[in-house]
Amino acid sequence: MPCCRAYNNMDGWTGFLQLAVRQKLGRTVAAEVYNRGALKVSPPVYLGDPHQPCFYLMNPGGGYVSGDRYRIEIQVGEQAQMLLTTQSSTKIYKMVASPAFQETTIVLEKDSYLEYMPDPIIAYQNAQYRQHTLIRMKRGSALLYSDIVTPGWSIDGSLFRYNGLQLKTIVYFEEELVVLDHLQLRPDAHEVRGLGLLEGYTHFGSMLVVGEKATSDFIELVSDRLDTYSGCCRIGVSALVLPGFTVRVLASSTQQIEAVFETCQRFVREHWFGKNPISFRKY
Amino acid sequence: MLSLLQLCDSNLPTGAFSHSFGLETYIQNEQVSSKMTFAQWLEVYVREQLVHSDGLALRLAYEALSREQWEPLWILDRMITVQSMARESREGGIRMGQRMAQLGMELYSIPALAVYHEHVKSKIAYGHPAIVFAIIAHHLGVPKPTAILSYLYSCTASLIQNGVRGIPLGQTEGQRLFQELQPHLIRATEKIEQLDEDEFGVTPPGIELSQMKHERLHVRLFMS
Repeated sequence: MPCCRAYNNMDGWTGFLQLAVRQKLGRTVAAEVYNRGALKVSPPVYLGDPHQPCFYLMNPGGGYVSGDRYRIEIQVGEQAQMLLTTQSSTKIYKMVASPAFQETTIVLEKDSYLEYMPDPIIAYQNAQYRQHTLIRMKRGSALLYSDIVTPGWSIDGSLFRYNGLQLKTIVYFEEELVVLDHLQLRPDAHEVRGLGLLEGYTHFGSMLVVGEKATSDFIELVSDRLDTYSGCCRIGVSALVLPGFTVRVLASSTQQIEAVFETCQRFVREHWFGKNPISFRKY
Repeated sequence: MLSLLQLCDSNLPTGAFSHSFGLETYIQNEQVSSKMTFAQWLEVYVREQLVHSDGLALRLAYEALSREQWEPLWILDRMITVQSMARESREGGIRMGQRMAQLGMELYSIPALAVYHEHVKSKIAYGHPAIVFAIIAHHLGVPKPTAILSYLYSCTASLIQNGVRGIPLGQTEGQRLFQELQPHLIRATEKIEQLDEDEFGVTPPGIELSQMKHERLHVRLFMS
């Protein structure tokens, strides 16, 4: 467990990353990669698709500690496509003072496509974390974005020993606010497993899918397909104010949520882009 | 006083009687089946959802009106609408907001309401009851805390009527429940007054999921 930070003093950011890709002769290539401090990104990996490189975000410090501030800026150029994930889960350690904070901005230019599926967030005992994600989409772009929240980790194995998590995801489409998704879990304030909150489950997953091809028929198909998982988890699917939908999952493990999200991802890739399923090949 | 009572009357034809905001899913799952379980659900719904959505929107809209600023109202209209990720509940808010704005136009002559109503008609704004309520309450000179508490009262009054029909419960049980809920509404009002704007739109996962799952219920008494 990291106890101190050597690089806590760069314009206030513990880690800063800029990653931009653009389309070039039918391929998507990295246009800009810049990082400082405790955030790094892998070189592009082409998982069998020259049009959609995959990048892995890495936290060389091993996790987020008190007062850490991270900023990630992603830009996907016109007609470019990108897969983005993390190398491993986001671990949030015990906070003595201020919560750890991660701010991400994502810009999707015209006709671009991004799939962002990070590993789950694991908050340790007494941890506090705030995650703000701002996504700006241009006409014709498509997005698949997910978050998974686990019950965390503590020495004695008991669950929900962290203090609080806040995940706020905001989407603008052509400069108009279209999604304001705000989750807070505060085990230090009240029982988060009760009625209305996690309702006996331990894991929560949320996926956003935005794109012109998300017709109500398509959403109905996704919803039907995801019904096959309703034995192990509770799944909700609902349309957004623009073509797109959200998938919410209450489950008992990360794997159950990943299975639901991968099914949804496969469906979108196949029906919208004629793409094959992919595996991030992390383990 | 009488105008405020009229505004909070559950006979006010806004369509609130046809929206359960996910409650019907709980009733069908038998998670809400008695006065006690219904009371638990209402407490969580008010504390975890209503406070951060309608409640905070109403307060911020009222404060903007007090500063004679209307622009924040149109921003709040969009925020309160898009923070509702469950389609039926979101559309319920829009429909009720539109009806209430129309009704307000019939009953009062309020410049801010006229502009809001116009924005809604020309689809620049969606329409939401919390914004309309803020405009009318501010116009009537109702103090802000009273406006917030009255709004929470009218929302929960409709939900209790719907619960009494849907579960079903006896009318007297419903009234007793409403009485017991009152301290929670007062606490919720205090909470709303203290909330930071950053807390806007926090949504409890379980309630939201049930609002989404309502779309796929086979037999439905309510539209959300």
